[in-house]
Amino acid sequence: MAQVAPAVTSTDTMLRIDGVHKWLGHNHVLRGVDIEVRTGEIVCILGPSGSGKSTLLRCINHLDPVDGGVIEVNGERVGYQLHDGQLYEQSERRVAKARQHIGMVFQHFNLFGHMTALDNVTYGPARILGRPRKEAVANARQLLAKVGLADKDDSYPSQLSGGQQQRVAIARALAMEPRLMMFDEPTSALDPELVGEVLQTMRQVAEEGMTMIVVTHEIGFAREVADRVVFMDQGRVLEDGPARDVLDNPQHERTASFLSRVH
Amino acid sequence: MPEITQSPLPTSTKPTHFVRRAGDEPPVQEAPIRAKRRPQYGQIVTGFVAIALLVLFIQSQAQNPNMEWNVTWEYMFNPVVLQGVGVTIQLAIFAMLISIVLAFGIALMIQSNNKVVSVIGRAYVWFFRGVPMLVQVLLWFNLAVLFPVILGQDTNTLISGFTAGLIALSLAESGYMAEIIRGGIISVPTGQTDAGVSIGLTRNQALARIVLPQSIRVIIPPTGNQFIGMLKATSLVSVIGGSDLLTRVQLIYGQNFKILPLLIVGVLWYLILVTIAGTGQHFLERRFNASQPGSRRSPKSTGTAKTTNIRTIIGGALWRK
Repeated sequence: MAQVAPAVTSTDTMLRIDGVHKWLGHNHVLRGVDIEVRTGEIVCILGPSGSGKSTLLRCINHLDPVDGGVIEVNGERVGYQLHDGQLYEQSERRVAKARQHIGMVFQHFNLFGHMTALDNVTYGPARILGRPRKEAVANARQLLAKVGLADKDDSYPSQLSGGQQQRVAIARALAMEPRLMMFDEPTSALDPELVGEVLQTMRQVAEEGMTMIVVTHEIGFAREVADRVVFMDQGRVLEDGPARDVLDNPQHERTASFLSRVH
Repeated sequence: MPEITQSPLPTSTKPTHFVRRAGDEPPVQEAPIRAKRRPQYGQIVTGFVAIALLVLFIQSQAQNPNMEWNVTWEYMFNPVVLQGVGVTIQLAIFAMLISIVLAFGIALMIQSNNKVVSVIGRAYVWFFRGVPMLVQVLLWFNLAVLFPVILGQDTNTLISGFTAGLIALSLAESGYMAEIIRGGIISVPTGQTDAGVSIGLTRNQALARIVLPQSIRVIIPPTGNQFIGMLKATSLVSVIGGSDLLTRVQLIYGQNFKILPLLIVGVLWYLILVTIAGTGQHFLERRFNASQPGSRRSPKSTGTAKTTNIRTIIGGALWRK
């Protein structure tokens, strides 16, 4: 793999992952991962299960702590601060603040079960960002309309299909006006019939210029929407390049064998 | 050896391709063949036997001269007894409320990332769940031996039978309730915390605002159960003269020696209280049982999310399935 980290981080770098290591117990899940994502770029991460893709996403917003390496979003370290050449974990409050502008969409949606769709989307802006309630509600209604669920304001998550829940979850993340959106296998838990509507919503978000990292098995989506594809296996990046190059002409044999089986 | 030849499938076994077209509904049968269930003969027989035995028992007791039913009826609504019923209800309700408040604290302590706090919480549960309630009642009543004076007052006047009983029941119950509440917290998927944290809540905020409201539906049914247990457990305070139902009943039969008729008064009152609480419990379970998705109304339009504040805290338990 010929991946050379640029010596100087350009100003339009949204995410810089540099030499990240992560152990879960005795399992070395991330073994020195370097990825850089520019502002507005859409990066799909592919790889077999257990390759560390989801863990990497969880490390980016410090849901899981890293054991080594640096992750910076928009030039700021997430979860740690440098002090005398050593990285120290920040207080819970500081980390929470840093997470506000990193949107995350989960495989199992994780909508707040005790709130309506509208409340799910309103909650963050109103209760965390402290926006005036009226403004937050109006904005949330707009977002729900955008993901095609204008009529589902008052529905509780359990009354929505998986695809609808995931679209509300995307609206909830967008409501926080994130600089970066992370999608962790957003369609893996869906009935085949419902995958399309979620991908369509993601396409829409992409078209608006959002910086996106998408862990997915949807090769078609990656080919069509992604600027870049990163292939990971066993905690390492094996291939990283323009989406069509990697997908149609993989250089690493592991990437090739993976793609030949997924297609 | 016979040669195996692969003959082509006969045309008749080729699967047919069925397509339902509009208007192609099957004709409604005039008289469909009804399928009747086999009668439950065993149930009918046991039913007759059970009723016969019950009638015999009631008849024998109604005519048993030692039962003295007239005494039972006489004391059933005696003011002293009624006061005792009142005290029993108060004890049960207050002890339950206090224990729930304590238990929330203890459950959060046990779940805390702070190991020391967690161990303290576990030790609390270990002690108050481990020591028999009756022993705890006696311990609190005899507190004066250890601390003769509390807050400048004589301990024995400060802690009456009622107070000692209330404290003992509350603490003992809080051990059980803490475990129930902890079970409720654990029952909420970790993804809820992840989602709360991912939009910028701290872990503690996510616990209080996202996880706890959703755990309430799991906590409430067993709490109803505990309350029924508490109604009966209040009778333990009779050993320290807690002036509850059993204390009063004992007081009366200590004077007139009509032991059995008065115990029956107690039995009937406890059954009445437990039945009322059990009915309430039944409705609570109907409301909170997650396995009955159709049991709740569909949401009506509530306008804006103005009520989120209250809804997420109290009403978390009341969201519709």
